[in-house]
Amino acid sequence: MKNDIISLVRDTLVEAGSSFREDKKAAYKRAIAAETNEKAKWVLQTVLENAEAAEKNHSPLCDDTGIPHLVLEIGPDCALSGRMLDDIREGVRQGLRKLPGRPMGIMGDDSRRIDQSGGLNPDPAGVEPAPILIRRCEENVLRLHILMFGGGPAIRAKTYRVFHKHNTQLVLDEIVAWAKESVAQLGCSPCTLAVGVGRSHFEATSLMLQAQVDGRYDKQSEMEAEITRRVNEANIGPLGLGGNTSVIATFMKVGPQRASGVRIVCVRPTCCFEPRIATVDLEQA
Amino acid sequence: MIQLTTPISEEAASSLQVGDTVEISGYILCGRDAVLPRVLKMIENGRASELGVDLRGQVIFHTAVSPAGVGPTSSNKLEIESSIEPLSKAGIKLHLGKGELHRETIEALAKYNAVYAVIPPVTALLGSKTSEAKVLAFPELGMEALHIIKVDRYPAIIGAAHGRSIYEK
Repeated sequence: MKNDIISLVRDTLVEAGSSFREDKKAAYKRAIAAETNEKAKWVLQTVLENAEAAEKNHSPLCDDTGIPHLVLEIGPDCALSGRMLDDIREGVRQGLRKLPGRPMGIMGDDSRRIDQSGGLNPDPAGVEPAPILIRRCEENVLRLHILMFGGGPAIRAKTYRVFHKHNTQLVLDEIVAWAKESVAQLGCSPCTLAVGVGRSHFEATSLMLQAQVDGRYDKQSEMEAEITRRVNEANIGPLGLGGNTSVIATFMKVGPQRASGVRIVCVRPTCCFEPRIATVDLEQA
Repeated sequence: MIQLTTPISEEAASSLQVGDTVEISGYILCGRDAVLPRVLKMIENGRASELGVDLRGQVIFHTAVSPAGVGPTSSNKLEIESSIEPLSKAGIKLHLGKGELHRETIEALAKYNAVYAVIPPVTALLGSKTSEAKVLAFPELGMEALHIIKVDRYPAIIGAAHGRSIYEK
């Protein structure tokens, strides 16, 4: 089982960094067919061709191969041990070497890691994954989702409080305003907007991550469709070059809310390649 | 589609217009946040010749160079965008990256007959168009060192030229 977990995680990380899900390919094809701006259409076609080449070669979609973010789902009769977490971590290391990931782990003490004076670890496996998120699932499996988070969306993402005044529309207005600003600055659009609404910064960000796991391009809620439509009306377009396709879809997850006038909202304008995600069942009970 | 081969002449640079689609071939430089301020310091100190390349007519691609490949980072990051004017003055003719530039940078490009081009972040496709890579300076910066690579028909759109920007609404 040890080697199984390591190799499964390794290959899943490579898949996350080198392929589009089928519903995303279909969404791009719909966007290409609907786009009337020739430059925007060219960018969309080039991004899709890049995805096909990366999938064929099992090579990175983008040279910023991203920071691994892991979501682990545990079914009713499944158990997770510390050794299994060690194996998952080893699988991530091996996956980063195999992809290959960009060697962008920063070395040194706290201060040197902040100012980047400690140098770069030449080993792609020197990139540490973010803290793992664990949640329950109904199926009797131990299921791992691996997402690779790039730097561009991290620069433009925002987590902040919104006073809702007992009106959902006000919160949506704020999400759209943030998204228009961040999508215009991103440079690597079209985006998929990942949105979390919760009671704390931690919870909202966690929901933003889970929205990328659960979101589907072919199934959009009314709120998701409204956000996408309104941001696309800004005519930002792919790479900011104009056109109707600034956002391919919105993945939004609303968690439990506080009895209060405030909502904590996280909006990440994920780039044209994100969510870079792949999923594997590590164990079945 | 306009074909550009490095080194780019003054005439070729002058003929480029916002919105032109181009393909770039030849040897080009690669540098981003960490190395560009160091390159500028060498130019300021009259030591540009130690870089081992003639900057006149060159292209600078705002990218790291790593086993993962190449792809544009945002050219409007502080350390990158602030390099565009002095590097244009030093002879760079085309700055290759992504993202909207500030008005002052667009005017500086025009002043030195240089242009800015936007390249899609298509690492997998660019990999098949890149045949050589070598560190020119500052090897201690790893993937962020100043590199020179050989490219064949990199696709791009002219994003700023003659004081105009493709991002103007």
